[in-house]
Amino acid sequence: MLGNQSSLTLYFLPLLQRLASGFLPGQYRASLLCRQWQTADMLQLSFNVSGRWPGFVPGQHVLLTLQHNGRYISRPFSICSPLSLWQSQQHIQLCCKINRAGEFTPLLNQLKNGAVVNISKAQGDFYWQQPATAAVFVAAGSGITPVAAMLLSQRHWLAPVSLFYRCRGSENAALLSELTQLAARQPLFTLTLSDSRTEPAETLQQQLMTNSSKQFYLCGPAGFMQQIRTALTNSGVSAAQIRQEQFGLAIAAPAEHMAAGLQLSASFIRAGISTQVTLNPQQSLLQNAEQHGLAPRFGCRMGVCFQCVCDKVSGQVRDIRSGALSGHGAEQIQLCVSQPVTELVIKL
Amino acid sequence: MKLTTEQFTALEQELDNIKQQVQTQLGDTDARYIRRVLLVQRLSALSGRILLVLGFITPWLWLAGVLLLALAKILDNMEIGHNVLHGQYDWMNDPVLHSKRYEWDIACDAGSWQRTHNFEHHTYTNIIGKDRDFGYGLLRLSNDFRWRLRNLWQGGTYLLLSMLFQWGVSYHELAAQRVFAGKKKADRHTQVSDSELKKAFFGKGARQLVKDYVFFPLIAGPMWLWVLCGNLLANLIRNLWTSTVIFCGHFTKEVYAFNATECEGESRGQWYYRQMLGSSNFTGPTWLHILTGHLSCQIEHHLFPDIPARHYPAMAKQVQAIAAKYAIPYNTGSFVRQYSTVFLRIMRYSLPGGDKAVKAL
Repeated sequence: MLGNQSSLTLYFLPLLQRLASGFLPGQYRASLLCRQWQTADMLQLSFNVSGRWPGFVPGQHVLLTLQHNGRYISRPFSICSPLSLWQSQQHIQLCCKINRAGEFTPLLNQLKNGAVVNISKAQGDFYWQQPATAAVFVAAGSGITPVAAMLLSQRHWLAPVSLFYRCRGSENAALLSELTQLAARQPLFTLTLSDSRTEPAETLQQQLMTNSSKQFYLCGPAGFMQQIRTALTNSGVSAAQIRQEQFGLAIAAPAEHMAAGLQLSASFIRAGISTQVTLNPQQSLLQNAEQHGLAPRFGCRMGVCFQCVCDKVSGQVRDIRSGALSGHGAEQIQLCVSQPVTELVIKL
Repeated sequence: MKLTTEQFTALEQELDNIKQQVQTQLGDTDARYIRRVLLVQRLSALSGRILLVLGFITPWLWLAGVLLLALAKILDNMEIGHNVLHGQYDWMNDPVLHSKRYEWDIACDAGSWQRTHNFEHHTYTNIIGKDRDFGYGLLRLSNDFRWRLRNLWQGGTYLLLSMLFQWGVSYHELAAQRVFAGKKKADRHTQVSDSELKKAFFGKGARQLVKDYVFFPLIAGPMWLWVLCGNLLANLIRNLWTSTVIFCGHFTKEVYAFNATECEGESRGQWYYRQMLGSSNFTGPTWLHILTGHLSCQIEHHLFPDIPARHYPAMAKQVQAIAAKYAIPYNTGSFVRQYSTVFLRIMRYSLPGGDKAVKAL
């Protein structure tokens, strides 16, 4: 009340940031220890994390926030290091795919040792549910990061575990040496590399079919995972036995959607209740929401009054006025001037 | 003087270009600037409140405290609050400086302000009957309004409104919705119920009153009366200043008003045109621009309400050149000159007759 902000921390934020540069409420400071290229485009970052950070379950990810051009930008990254490293030294490692044309990831390669970034609490529900029963892990590309954390954190091996790791040859397989070492010392763990340049996906699918495991963990690009998932369900694996985490969104330009007449969908979350709607990509999100009986607050409907600003949780939108594309992560958008580009999750 | 359709399209293009040029440059400099203003605001608020208590050493410290607290409130309301609530800094993704999260040190609830000011006033600027900011439903500012007996003493009404300006702003939406008195207007649409309006009005108002007139005096102990009077004076200075600046933006001598019918289905170019005619600037040094929240460049603010305000003085030169090219009147002058025409307008229209602000273009 005293500072008119929702908390006194926010009121004193300009002063606190003078004292501790980069301080953000609700976030934890992490200082960079070192950077190391795992492959040509996978950069491994080691951080020393503030002792207040509550820790993680292997397989979870954090939102990493940087300030660039005056703007806070956040992206999710899975933790790839074992739990023991955090418990013994308060270190975590992130393995990040660097997209040289992107806005965010090239900045990671410019971070100096000792640089302070902000990370969120660990989040996500992609973790090893029953470590005592046999399991199959399928990872593709950068999808290896949460899977590696799960496997490298495992202390008591009780049942056979297989990892099928699909990548563009062993030179493009991040974290391969750690996983090979694990396979060498742990007889219950088998590692199978699948080269996407020479082996068709069907071979991998057949190998999976022959496995009698009860748990499947999939992590990789959307298209690849859909393919594996379909093959598994066709061979009688129930949906409850498959857990997955999607890496890299299936991005398509709006023009392609319109030409193909494809339908996009969005989940609008209002006061905790989620409504799934089919979107018309040629209309603003405001119009789309209204057509489905949702009534977001609005004003000028031309991008001036900022009454319809709301939180986008994930997905990409296009600014109808400028044609500029938004990021894929969590940020705030104006519904009246935003047009859907990908599947969306929006908090009204 | 009215522009052709082609000219309106060209005008729209030229003004859009100016906006885009600035938008592409937004970055570190803007973020550092607004964070520095925020830091100065916080420091002057804190030191002001401390100096008020130290008034027992010498009253001069108390006076410095009053001025610093008034400065803090003015910066919070004008350069920070007003501009942040317009979404000028939403691109920063900052936990404080965001149109959806910011709440300011004034009686008016931020949400109510976004509805009446950002939406109603900025969309329907100076349209008689639609933009209630033209006279605030209290003052007769042109012959577009019928003269009533109460207009005779509107000089006094104006003085009272200025002194209590934060409460006028805060009550503005409730007056429009006829929440407490008067007959509901059939043509007014709103998404906010009367009970929500009342809750926001009394909630925010009470918080402000308790903060300035109960909490801070209480913790000052024996200095409670000094602190209470200091807070009252700081609020008064802020009220007078904000009211004066805002009156200079739309009620100067040469300002234009419009009929709802002529604005129906207008293009973006025509909207730009109306914003230029309906607003007026005043000139002055940089510190004056900052204290007005750059509303000294009201024309540019109305053309580009979501562009960070520190760019307005530079944009004003380009806008003025475009205005000259299309022979659109560009209303600017010194602060004293502009304000004196506002005062004369209030006085003139307290009597019957006079000119209409809706002019044939």
